[in-house]
Amino acid sequence: MKRPWLSLPDRIGWRDHGIGAAMAAFYVTWLLAGARSLGFPRDEGVYFRAGSSYFRWYRLVWDHGREAFARGPIDAAFGDNHEHPALMKTLFGASEYFLHDRWHVFDDASTAYRLPGMAMAGLAVWVTYLFGARAFNRRAGAIAAALLSLMPRVFFNSHLACFDVPIAAMWILCLYTYWRSAEERSIGWFIAAGVTYGLMLETKHNAWLFPAVVVPHALFVWGRALAKARAALWRKIPWGLLSMAVLGPGVFLLLWPYLWFDTEARVRWYAAFHLNHEYYNIEFLGRNYFGPPSPPLYLPVMILATVPSITMLLFFVGTTDRLRHAYGRVAAWVRDALHRTGAAAPESDPRETDLLLFLGFCVAVGPFILPRTPIFGATKHWLTAYPVLAIVAGRGFDLIATSMDRAIQTLRSGVRRAARVGLVACVLAAPAAVTAHSHPFGLSAYVPFVGGTQGGADLGLNRQFWGFTTQTAAKRFLNDQTPPRSTVFILDTTWDAWNRMQEEHRVRADLRVVGAPGDAMYSLVQHELHMSEVDYDIWIADGSDAPAYVMTHDDVPIVSIYRRQ
Amino acid sequence: MSGDPSAKLKARAGRWAFAVVPLVGVVELLSFLVQTRPAASDADWATAREYVATHARSDDLVAFAPRWIDPVGRERFGSALATLEREARPDETRFARALEVSIRGAHLPAFKDWPREGEQRFGGVTVTTWDNPEPARVLTDLVSLVNPQQMRVSRGGAECNFVRGNPQSGGLGFGPAIPGDRFVCGGGGFVGMSVVADLSYLPHRCIYAPPVGGAPTRIQFQGVHFGTRLHGHHALYVEAERDRRGAPVTLTFRAGGTTLASLEHRDGDGWKGFELDTSPLAGTTGELVAEVTGEGERRMYCFEADTR
Repeated sequence: MKRPWLSLPDRIGWRDHGIGAAMAAFYVTWLLAGARSLGFPRDEGVYFRAGSSYFRWYRLVWDHGREAFARGPIDAAFGDNHEHPALMKTLFGASEYFLHDRWHVFDDASTAYRLPGMAMAGLAVWVTYLFGARAFNRRAGAIAAALLSLMPRVFFNSHLACFDVPIAAMWILCLYTYWRSAEERSIGWFIAAGVTYGLMLETKHNAWLFPAVVVPHALFVWGRALAKARAALWRKIPWGLLSMAVLGPGVFLLLWPYLWFDTEARVRWYAAFHLNHEYYNIEFLGRNYFGPPSPPLYLPVMILATVPSITMLLFFVGTTDRLRHAYGRVAAWVRDALHRTGAAAPESDPRETDLLLFLGFCVAVGPFILPRTPIFGATKHWLTAYPVLAIVAGRGFDLIATSMDRAIQTLRSGVRRAARVGLVACVLAAPAAVTAHSHPFGLSAYVPFVGGTQGGADLGLNRQFWGFTTQTAAKRFLNDQTPPRSTVFILDTTWDAWNRMQEEHRVRADLRVVGAPGDAMYSLVQHELHMSEVDYDIWIADGSDAPAYVMTHDDVPIVSIYRRQ
Repeated sequence: MSGDPSAKLKARAGRWAFAVVPLVGVVELLSFLVQTRPAASDADWATAREYVATHARSDDLVAFAPRWIDPVGRERFGSALATLEREARPDETRFARALEVSIRGAHLPAFKDWPREGEQRFGGVTVTTWDNPEPARVLTDLVSLVNPQQMRVSRGGAECNFVRGNPQSGGLGFGPAIPGDRFVCGGGGFVGMSVVADLSYLPHRCIYAPPVGGAPTRIQFQGVHFGTRLHGHHALYVEAERDRRGAPVTLTFRAGGTTLASLEHRDGDGWKGFELDTSPLAGTTGELVAEVTGEGERRMYCFEADTR
């Protein structure tokens, strides 16, 4: 019998790391290719600056040893943007120092700053593959990883030196290490679970929700066993969970020097900052929300409008399968409890993977259904749920592929192979096209199911935030169409971002920023509902309501540029 | 039963149910390809503009649909056609017809009860002409009287001087732009023509007269031709009224020795319309006085009215 040209052992092992790593590398390469065409959102400028400041401290440690550990140098370095932990910013700074300043790997400092975030996106893809492959099979894992990388919002955020994709990567990594620690029950995996959780705490505050995933899961898996097995208690203890509880906070404190002094007060401040976070506005269904109560439909509508519909359909298929499986178990348990039938329940998984994935998804999205949770970050705040969503969708794909194999089993092998390739193409083509097309307008992009970018505009969904589209507007108009030393009002773009765009020759260096439309020869409006008020002010300031140029994406205005009459 | 046709059909349907997934994938891809094609070319916009420039009368509205295409419409048509009066209109009642320039078959809800007079297609751009079934004949538009020849402004008995300067504007939160040409009152008040963003962020051309507390700001419009009605709207700048924490602003109209009405605008009212009966004054020309009163900070108040 002819062997296939590529065969893998049934057991998931190192070769699968090779597959995951290859998918991750491909994704990071794709991200790097688009880095220069994406402008700088407001937050990135802050994280660039803080990253360099944080890493400067590590250089101080290298150069001056113990002196660097005094409160003065630590507060000076880590005082900037201390509402977020230090891990990612430190990596941003380190990457910029080594890959731009010293080794000149990247021409743009910003690309070096962004690389760690992109690498975390690659990590998310890698772990999603591994998790899917181990939980179901390689086909499910590979499709899951591909579907995750082909979500326009994930793709957009993966470019940035921010924390939203890194925390999504850490969320799935933490789920994975905890799950593996439950399976392997080895010291290595226990330590890995604890350290990973510490790194997750050091990435972003979503990590504080993670106990709501693992504690109920651990209670369900081990609770009864713990109660019964007094003799061999140590064997039953969920060491992975305990390791997270002990090592996690330790790693968190160790990697955030700012917390080494005045620890209690600073941790309290950190918690209070996020528990009482300011509400920024966001448009939803034509209305601008400035504060609570947040609309309960926000999360489901935004997921449906931004995650490719084929991915959602596969997620539905996968969810239905897992719910049917869970229902079978519950029904068998109830029957057995009532009638002592001894009827065989569907095969049960000692790791309770379904429950873990269910909790991993629900806890990630749960807070954003609550009326008091700010929604200004749109989808980026629940990206943590997407690797799980992708894994379940991968399972859905696997079921569909199996079903197709059954239906076409009488056909020739060549036809069957072509059908399998065709199925993969049908599932991935639209997400790939939508994702590639969305760049660099990732926040304006909506899926074809709601009418694409135009459909998003029709529905009154937010078109962008953070003012990052100014760079594209400069490329298409300002750089070529404005006289030397023109003054420009940049509205939602920060001066930090503008300066960096000029330093990196993305925007003409002689253009000068001013603080009001009335002082500017050219005024920009990044189209968001609440920016309209500035649009109208420009009509009065400039004496004309006609823009000189409107930058559009799929016909939808993204930035208007006015020229003073 | 092997012979049961419905069971056979069911089994076959179940066997091929998986095909829904690739089908959805293909439909999503095709939809994407259709949706990302440009709706209209430069030439389409140019010919549509030429048509509108030729056919639009001065009392016609020129509007763009869907609403979000408005910036492109203004860019393509220019401010001679997409005038401030049309773009920042108080409502549609004063226009005899509307030339609605649209892409993708969109229409503005304002015209849903207006009879369609005609439709012209220019590639991807469609110009639909709508007839206003009950157009109002505007006799005097108060906003157009904001100049030292036709308007006087005073506060607490002190005259507010008309100045010509540069407009003042800012970023988010600045409020309506302060026009260059304005009446400036002692103690900080001013009156001039601006554009306010209402609670729905729609633009309205209006008389920007923020009360500064104490004595009312008194605006005297000269040579107003009265009809049977005084029709208007008033609002505060969206940021000033959306939190609903400010004190109300009162607008009082007087003419012919009598008070026509005292209108109160409370935060949250948005672009609030009013219509006053001026039948006793119909056919006369004279002075109309508007007094704006209010207390508190950020009372960025704007009103417009016309006689008809």
